[in-house]
Amino acid sequence: MQVSTKWLKDYMKIDISPEELAEKLTMAGIPVENVVRADEGLEKVVTGKIEKLEAHPDSDHLQVCQMNVGTNELLQIVTGAPNVKQGQIVPVALVGAHLPNGQKISKGKLRGVASNGMLCSADELKLDIENLPVEQKVGIYILPEDTPIGVPAKEVLGLDDVILEFELTANRGDCFSVFGIVREAAVLTNQTPNLPKIEVKEDDESKATDLIKIKIDAPDLCSRFSSRVLKNVKLGPSPAWIQQRLQGAGIRAINNVVDVTNFVMVELGQPMHAYDYDEVKGHILNARRAVEGEQLHTLDDSNRLAKGGELVIADAEKAAGLAGVMGGFETEITEKTKTVVLEAASFNGASIRRTSRAVGLHSEASGRFERGVDETKTIRALDRAAQLLQDMSACTVCKGIVDVYPNPKSEVTVAFTPEQINQRLGTEIETDKMIDILQKLGFEIVSKTPSAIKVKVPSWRNDVSMMEDISEEVARICGYDNIPSTLPVGVTSQGHQSDVQNFVDRIKSVLVTLGMNEELSFSFTNPTMFDKMNVPADSELRKAVPIMNPLTDDYPLLRTTLLASIMENAARNYSRKNEDVKLFEIAPVFSPKALPITEQPIETLKLAGLIMGRREDKGWSQNSDEVDFYDMKGIVEELFDRISIDKYTVEVSEHFAMHPGKTAAFKKGKDVLATVGEIHPAVANSFNISKKIYVFEADIKTLLKYTAKNFKYEQLPKYPAITRDLAILVDKNIAAGEVKKIITQNAGGYFKDVTLFDVYTGEHISDDKKSLAFTIKFQSTNRTLTDEEADEAFTKILAAVKKQFNAELRS
Amino acid sequence: MEQKISELRQKASEAIKNAATNLKELDNIRVKILGKKGELTSILRGMSQLSAEDRPRIGKIVNEARAQIEALIAEKNDELKTKELSNKLASEKIDVTLPGRKINAGHLHPLTLTLNRIKEIFLQMGYTIEEGPEVETDYYNFEALNLPKDHPARDMQDSFYITEDILVRTQTSPVQARTMESHEPNSPIRMIAPGRVYRRDDYDASHSPMFTQVEGLVIDKGIRFSDLKGTLEHLLKEIFGKNAKARLRPSFFPFTEPSTEVDVSCMMCHGNDANCKVCHGSGWLEILGAGMVHPDVLKMSGYDPKVVSGFAFGMGVERIAMLSYGIDDLRLFYDNDVRFLQQFK
Repeated sequence: MQVSTKWLKDYMKIDISPEELAEKLTMAGIPVENVVRADEGLEKVVTGKIEKLEAHPDSDHLQVCQMNVGTNELLQIVTGAPNVKQGQIVPVALVGAHLPNGQKISKGKLRGVASNGMLCSADELKLDIENLPVEQKVGIYILPEDTPIGVPAKEVLGLDDVILEFELTANRGDCFSVFGIVREAAVLTNQTPNLPKIEVKEDDESKATDLIKIKIDAPDLCSRFSSRVLKNVKLGPSPAWIQQRLQGAGIRAINNVVDVTNFVMVELGQPMHAYDYDEVKGHILNARRAVEGEQLHTLDDSNRLAKGGELVIADAEKAAGLAGVMGGFETEITEKTKTVVLEAASFNGASIRRTSRAVGLHSEASGRFERGVDETKTIRALDRAAQLLQDMSACTVCKGIVDVYPNPKSEVTVAFTPEQINQRLGTEIETDKMIDILQKLGFEIVSKTPSAIKVKVPSWRNDVSMMEDISEEVARICGYDNIPSTLPVGVTSQGHQSDVQNFVDRIKSVLVTLGMNEELSFSFTNPTMFDKMNVPADSELRKAVPIMNPLTDDYPLLRTTLLASIMENAARNYSRKNEDVKLFEIAPVFSPKALPITEQPIETLKLAGLIMGRREDKGWSQNSDEVDFYDMKGIVEELFDRISIDKYTVEVSEHFAMHPGKTAAFKKGKDVLATVGEIHPAVANSFNISKKIYVFEADIKTLLKYTAKNFKYEQLPKYPAITRDLAILVDKNIAAGEVKKIITQNAGGYFKDVTLFDVYTGEHISDDKKSLAFTIKFQSTNRTLTDEEADEAFTKILAAVKKQFNAELRS
Repeated sequence: MEQKISELRQKASEAIKNAATNLKELDNIRVKILGKKGELTSILRGMSQLSAEDRPRIGKIVNEARAQIEALIAEKNDELKTKELSNKLASEKIDVTLPGRKINAGHLHPLTLTLNRIKEIFLQMGYTIEEGPEVETDYYNFEALNLPKDHPARDMQDSFYITEDILVRTQTSPVQARTMESHEPNSPIRMIAPGRVYRRDDYDASHSPMFTQVEGLVIDKGIRFSDLKGTLEHLLKEIFGKNAKARLRPSFFPFTEPSTEVDVSCMMCHGNDANCKVCHGSGWLEILGAGMVHPDVLKMSGYDPKVVSGFAFGMGVERIAMLSYGIDDLRLFYDNDVRFLQQFK
């Protein structure tokens, strides 16, 4: 909502600047978003009369004007505008003016003729040119003949105003009006409002009740419908002051009847509608629900089909408008209108909100109904509108009011004690001060005893119903600045977070140490991502949770895998030539319990990591090799070591998005701890990455299940270890992990550990073989082992690998 | 004989002093004089021809000469060794201006860093950190927070719906309702709920359909608005530094009464630059929303507003991170460009 300060000044004294007023209102919960000075740039623009107009001696299109700008001497100005004539009054920018469009006016010569200013067009003054006739739009802005000469143009243009643009909160429907803002501003600046006297003379003999019938078929959606009938209506433009007030409120003037309904809406906060009485069939207006499929011909001349259930105002034949949102086409006020039915009603906010959202139309009226209007004040609005039209001699007013108000609103009272208020706020505000604030805001003190104060809530405050609301009124008028700062007292508590949270933090810090960068990506995905990731057609991962109203088609689903997200990020980096990428993310994925969705999906916290490009940063002495599978595997192994997961197995595995020969699963029994692999070249290609990419994926809950809860250090050995190297030739396709397993199983009681220190294929070895070299360590905790004991164990190991893998000892 | 020894001494002394320029030469001199076939050794051998009375005297002179020469050699030996070492060190000189070998540690996401800081502040004040599902029911996301269907305030949080009654949460406040329900009625709570939230906002420099929020809730007997004010002032000083000021403006949220919008003083211009790009000259930046928990919210989760009171607050982690790090486009957080990610520590 926007309001002109001129309008506010009509009803109260304002002796502070608009900016100061805006600050006070904002700090009291009536937020002013902007203070707009309409007259900006018009300081040196005055009205001037063209006393004499001559052709420029040296130009076909320029003319030389002698302007009367209210001073003793005429001012010579050269203009190129074709629409000027002698005797016209126009806006004149004097030398030194700095126009709203940025143009600076200085003394000059145009083709040798001196020019001391400029005649202005509407556009140069940044006027609203929409409604102007064509010649006024392009040429100089011609002012009315009776315009005084030599006065500031902003005055005659109604631009000597400052506009306050409000961003009101949803609870303060009462502030959606000039009266509402005046009420608040007066309290905050210690002024007394001087509101206009609203009175109307019913000067027409006919009785409203004889002319029109009002009915409410949907009392839950329309709590009150009041109406007046105006006869002998003379349609025409509104007086300038009304047009200016509306302009300040951002509403375009249309005709006196429509302007008055808008004026009253802004002034009092009560939306109104005017019907052409002769077009209201059966002379009845009924607030009822629309029937599904019902035709609605709205005043924008479009035919809409009702969904059913919307509140409409209907005459005897059909709906004459969407209540509170848009009027009907047939009953619109036109040149032919002789008799007008004025509506001032109260409609259900939720219903109006649904309708206005459904038709995509948010009007000044619908916004007010959504927040709730003061239904006890409908008649005041009718009277005000009738009064204004009567004042401009535009109608006669029929006797009486047709008012349907089936369940009058009961008064709301609230009881509270000053102690309660001070306790809630942490303040020591005196009782008298509280009462003073409430009374100024329109609350009536019903009773005051030592045990409680009972107040009657003003009818316009539908947001106040309990002690807590009263505390806010007191706090905001006293000023939040004046509330002290304290810290909660009470039982001290121990701050903590859950095991999962601690575990996630720990994993993140380990991965960062290992060179991985944390990414955060959206939880959304789309079906093409499944194709890019090569997800099988029957995979559960394709059964993603759909969003009913996605923002765009890019993200209609909740993701089921983190790998797609991390691939997208790798691809984005790759496309920007960031080819060395190490990323990880911990985030939930979503899997539905059933489709279509009937309950909340399962959220599973996943960990994914990705590496590609150089192993080390580029540098003069850095390794310039690219990462490979074993880098990724090493990161996972180190992570597991750091989060105390051990004794897992690593097996050959498969994954739809990974290279069939380069995929491994870390397992504990049947539980998969992590899957590690190279991204399948086809998948990499679908992300436009022509580089090898390595990824891993794990499930946080599974990792947490196997992390050792306690960690105990191992004593340092007192006795030396004996080592034996075992170098064997085996078939190329035998997995080193299998050999290691057999060594471990057959190494006897003094076995300490085994390290694979060399893998060799090539010269001196036949093509189908490879050489594996292990160092095996034996150690006792209570004595020094003998060479014979180590040899004995070594012999057993050798026998076992020979038997198991047909291995040959290399000499 | 004595003459011979004296000459030898003289000769050896000069040879050691002048001739020896390296350890090898020095050793040659030693062998030549003191070795098995050395000059002094041969004098010693010739002593068998001396008379018995001369023998001890000459023996003494020879031994003295030997000791003296040995000492000279040792001295020269040290001198040469020192010189040799310093030559070696000089030859090992490297270009110390070459860059050190890079250790490739990674980086936490700036939002994680910011959130960790916030968590730390509240953990120190005895708050627990609570979590809840990201896909929520309409009840927990809205109704339990005093936001019935068709409430105009729902417009403030345009939602992504899964069904009529299930949506991705628009705030982490549902965690508050769930936490209250899991507690003994009226028992004290101090918690924050950080997490991802979703709103149907276009993706631009200051909006994102997914962002990170931290909500806080304190419930106990006698909790006051002034406690909220003090807590938030403490928070803002911890995050933005001792000079940060807080400004509370009355506002409206359905789940709090009274409600407040909280601004922090502009950390870029401190209110001194009318053209400040961050605060646009106002000197203040909107940073969080808060208020005293609405009695209906307490009631719905089984708490009695006559017995306890509480405050709640909510803030966007992106906003705080943007202000702390001077980031001007929110999309950078979800863009995950490694050149961006690697800057934060």
